[in-house]
Formats: sequence, structure tokens, C-alpha cells
Amino acid sequence: MADESPHTRKFRKELMAGLSSLVLLAVLARAGREMYGYEIAKAVKAEGEGGLIFKQGAIYPVLRSLDALGLLSSRVEASAFGPPRRYYGITDEGKRALSEWQGAWKDMREFVDDALAAHLAGPGQGPAMEHHA
Amino acid sequence: MKSDAAPATVRAYLDELRNALKGASPGLISDALADAEEHLQGEIAANPNKTEAEVLATAIETYGTPQEIAEEYRSMEAAIAGPFPKPEQKPQNHKGFFGVISDPRAYGALMFMLLALPTGIFYFVWAVVGISLTIPFFLFIFGIPFALLFLGSVRILSHVEGRIVEGLLGVRMPRRLPAQSTGETIWARIGEALADIRTWSSLLYLLLRLPLGIIYFTLGVVGIVLPIALIGGALFDLITGESHVHFSDVPWLNHLFHTAPGLVLLMTLGAFLVFVVLHMAKGIGWLHGHLAESLLVRL
Repeated sequence: MADESPHTRKFRKELMAGLSSLVLLAVLARAGREMYGYEIAKAVKAEGEGGLIFKQGAIYPVLRSLDALGLLSSRVEASAFGPPRRYYGITDEGKRALSEWQGAWKDMREFVDDALAAHLAGPGQGPAMEHHA
Repeated sequence: MKSDAAPATVRAYLDELRNALKGASPGLISDALADAEEHLQGEIAANPNKTEAEVLATAIETYGTPQEIAEEYRSMEAAIAGPFPKPEQKPQNHKGFFGVISDPRAYGALMFMLLALPTGIFYFVWAVVGISLTIPFFLFIFGIPFALLFLGSVRILSHVEGRIVEGLLGVRMPRRLPAQSTGETIWARIGEALADIRTWSSLLYLLLRLPLGIIYFTLGVVGIVLPIALIGGALFDLITGESHVHFSDVPWLNHLFHTAPGLVLLMTLGAFLVFVVLHMAKGIGWLHGHLAESLLVRL
């Protein structure tokens, strides 16, 4: 992503702003145990889609905000080497949010896909959008 | 993305991140630094056969440059402070003089004032004993580990105090212990701690907390007892019909407090004092919070 225009970077950032919370909740729910930041960063990368779209550094502030909202819980544990680690786990409220957000994301994705498909099909030939709206 | 010389060590990275975050709240800065350090140290630990510079070069690609990370934290702080209720919100300031009765910050500060004496004594004793043992111990071989232990305990105490200050006074403090250098010699670590101004300002804070704690505690106890005594006493006198308020030197006051209107006046005064005390607590909390922030938060 070396030569992306500032517009594209901004767009990515805006997209990611909400989705990163969804991804992190999903990772922690799937893991079913508490994980610390670095571990989560690796897991997000391993999830596939992530990769370089998602700077690992960006997950930490999101984790903190989810923690502040009560969707995650966290505790700090000293580690044998290096600085202490903060472990995050998903709360019941977080699980509820996750299932609702998954629905929201599905709706949103279908809506956007339809809009893009209509756009590709050319103007005037896209009844798909009306169906959904 | 356009950092001319990419940082080659964790320290350099953290310094650059600290620079990029200049102007943000100190608590946010130390959160960001702690997260970055945890991640980068994790990356180094996961790649034992690479040099620090090599690990950092790839880590900056995946983790993000200091500038990008700074931007993430800033926007996250703005987002949280925005739609979600946070203790730092303004509206409570506009409730006027009597609005303080429903301000949790005022009660938190009052609680802090009462706690300030026992914690202040503990901090003071700890710091004084630590300092006076560290210096003679340097004559012996165990002086060095003892000094390290003591400096470490000062950091932990400062952190605990920071948590109390944030919880009760609402001033954002670091949520993590500050970064500690690793893998260097014991002398380098002591030297580093001694050269760090925060070590000294934290020690100063711990010592200062005793006299301040005495003042806070006294004001807090008087502030709680006085209104209760005024209201309760006057109420008791009203109900039983006999007055226990005596001003033998001031006959007209003595007379006033033997009448029902006089006692009601006394109760009103007591009730008014409650608000004055809450305002005082809030003011002290504000002042102390900023003192703690400037002495304890490592920038």
C-alpha cells in the first residue's frame, strides 16, 4: 500500500474505524480465552483478510476503548520478560454486541455489494438498489 | 509514513512516539507508550535470531510508524470522549453552586481526602526508610539489588497512587506501569533510574503526601463532622425542646439558639456548609490531581 492516495488512506481508515471493533470481538470470542495485545495482533493477521490493511498498532487503542465500554474486560499480568502484559477477554455484553454487529455487518455488506453491482451494471440498470432501500 | 530515519531501537521508537503525541493528555501518552513497548518487545522475543534493528524494521511495517500510531490514539481518545459518557464531561460544571450535591467528583475527592492520611503515612515511611537504608547499604554487596528493589517499589507505589487519583479525582493517569529497560547491566538500570527525573519527582511526591495528607484529612473530617453536628444538634434540640448550644459570652446569640427560629437557622447554616465542603473537596481534588499528574506521570 505504498502509493495509495490520501483519499484512499482516509477511506480505509474510516471503514476500519468501526470494523476493527467487530474483528477484535470476533477474534476474542473465537479464541474463547483471554489474550494479550501481541497475541491478538498475530491472531488478527492470521485471520486472513487483515494483513497490511490493518496496522497492528491500531488494535491497541481499539482494545482500550472496547474495554472502557464494557465489551471487553482486561487485567494486567507481569510477564517474565519485558513489560507487563494486558490480557483482554470478551464479556457477555461483548458477545451480545458481537452477534448484533454481525447482523449489522451482513446487512451493510449486502447493501454495499448491491450498490456496487448496480454501478458496474451501468446507470439505469440497477433495480437491486431499490429492492433493498 | 515519511519518517526519514526509521527508529532502530525500541527506545528510539518510543521517543519518536512520545514526540508525535506531544500535547495529548499524559495518561494517553503513557498508555500508547506501554502498548507500543509491549508489542515491540513481544516482536523481539518472537524473533530471537534477528537483531533489534531488523525486528524493528519489519515491526514498523506491521505495527505502524510512530506518527500513524499517534494518530490512532488521538482519534480513539476523541471518539471515546465524544459520544460516550466519560467522567471528564463538562455539563456538571454548569449546575451552579448547589449542583455540586450530585457531582460524584466532589464525593470522590472527599473520600480521597480521608484516605490521604493513612496512605500518606505509608508512602512517607516507605520513602524515608527506603532512602535511609539504600545509602548505607551501598557499602555492602547487597546495596545494588536493594537500590533496584527500592526504586522499583517507588514506581509501583506511584502507579498505585495514580490509580487512586484517577479513580477518585478523575484525572487521567497512566493505566500501565512505565516501561523499564531490559537486558542491560544492573548498573545501567540504576544509572538510568537515577537519571530519570520521574524517579525523583515520584519520591518527592511520596514524601509530600504526608503533610498534604494531614491537611486533607483534617479538612475532610472537620468538613464532614461540622455540618452533621450543626444539623443533628439543632434537630435534637428542636425535638427535645432543650438547647445544648451555649454562648455564655454572647447573650444575644445564646438567646437566639434557645428559640426555634434560631435552631432552624443553625440547621440551614449546617446544610449550607455541606455545599461549601463539597466545593472545597472538589477544588482540592482538582489541585491535587494536577499535582499528581505533574509529578507522577512519566513523559
